Amino acid sequence: MSTKPILSSLLLLVLMVVLFTSCTKDSAQSTTFQGQGGSTARFAINGAYLYTVDASQLRTYNLTDPANPNPVSTQDVGFEIETIFPFGDKLFIGSTSVIHIFSIDNPAKPEKLSTAISPTVMRRCDPVVAKDTVAFATLRAGGACGGFQSILAVYDINDITKPVQRASFGLNEPRGLGYADTVLYVCDPPGLRMFNIKDAYNPRYLGDLTDGDFYDVIPYGNLLFSQTKTGGFIYDISKPAAPVKLSQLQ
Amino acid sequence: MQQYFIMRKAIGFLSLLAILSGCTASMDEPPPSPTSAYVPVYYKQENVYAVKAEAAKPIVKAGKQYVLGNLLLQNEINEGIHLIDVSNPAIPKKLGFLSIPLCTEMAIRQGFLYANNYDDLIVIDLRVPADPKVVKRIEDVFPPANQEYPPYFNVSFECPDKKKGVVVGWELKNNIQASCRR
Repeated sequence: MSTKPILSSLLLLVLMVVLFTSCTKDSAQSTTFQGQGGSTARFAINGAYLYTVDASQLRTYNLTDPANPNPVSTQDVGFEIETIFPFGDKLFIGSTSVIHIFSIDNPAKPEKLSTAISPTVMRRCDPVVAKDTVAFATLRAGGACGGFQSILAVYDINDITKPVQRASFGLNEPRGLGYADTVLYVCDPPGLRMFNIKDAYNPRYLGDLTDGDFYDVIPYGNLLFSQTKTGGFIYDISKPAAPVKLSQLQ
Repeated sequence: MQQYFIMRKAIGFLSLLAILSGCTASMDEPPPSPTSAYVPVYYKQENVYAVKAEAAKPIVKAGKQYVLGNLLLQNEINEGIHLIDVSNPAIPKKLGFLSIPLCTEMAIRQGFLYANNYDDLIVIDLRVPADPKVVKRIEDVFPPANQEYPPYFNVSFECPDKKKGVVVGWELKNNIQASCRR
């Protein structure tokens, strides 16, 4: 056997490992009303454009005619590409080892700004949400990214291409997260943890909701949608620090 | 005498063969240990591109959610999407279920739903949520993964059989005579 097939199959192996172990349930939702895919999504919509990634390429479709996505550009990104997520006004494209950061100032043709080595910066498979110049991410020990600590990490993203970790808070087995006003909701089975993030670099633990094993949350106006293994719950968060359970999804 | 040598040679050759063939078996496969191995989980449906609207049903394996306005989409992992009216969030009302094989992700824009259907991206007209229609299919957007082996190293696994369909996962089971390894 020549070395080429071995190399390529090795590459494939690595890719598949990552694809398979990627945290499909760890979607990060922003509070934008447009709605957003997860941190491990294979496609993302931003404005009138749809972006998809396959193993090596970023493809852009124009959705001016929403029934008929029109391909407008294709770019080679590198290889082992596995996820895409819009972050701030950028597109983060994660591979097995790095995050490529693309500007979408020209949404029809994303332009690569930089490549950061994961996990020096926020890791590709960690759920993350941004609030102004701060990003909150959950790192899970034994999760898709590996690692030995389960924490809530707080990053300074004044320079979005160079996030700097400013704080951390120990957790059990964290997954998705989201925020409303100054309250951050972190799924950390067996509960949903709440933090006051008025002072972002010093998150203050408020308490837990214990209705289920939460995987992800979507704060949406005065409502908090939550996902558990078998359904979810809807809460009224008119008072963000005191959610009131309205119903169960089953 | 000569015959004896030939006999001995033949016996030697035969026993060598026997040993060798024994060896090859144990070199190709891991010793069929009674330990655990990964077994492919196949997608049950034959036609992975059959998308259809169905009556509302219970959520079993909840995947991602997506909210827009009064509509909540709840992914049923690898099965499709529950359409839920949450205009009264205290009484969520299921409108129906979109059966989309191997669907895990979705997004809505201007009344149109974008979702993955195995390796295709599909567009569904959801402007009348009770009457969804597939209006576009873009093929081969999401190349499938994990069809050949589980995503782990140094493990034994049952060799997947393509005829059995699409591999949607790998399950660790005990007492499996796994003949594949990586």
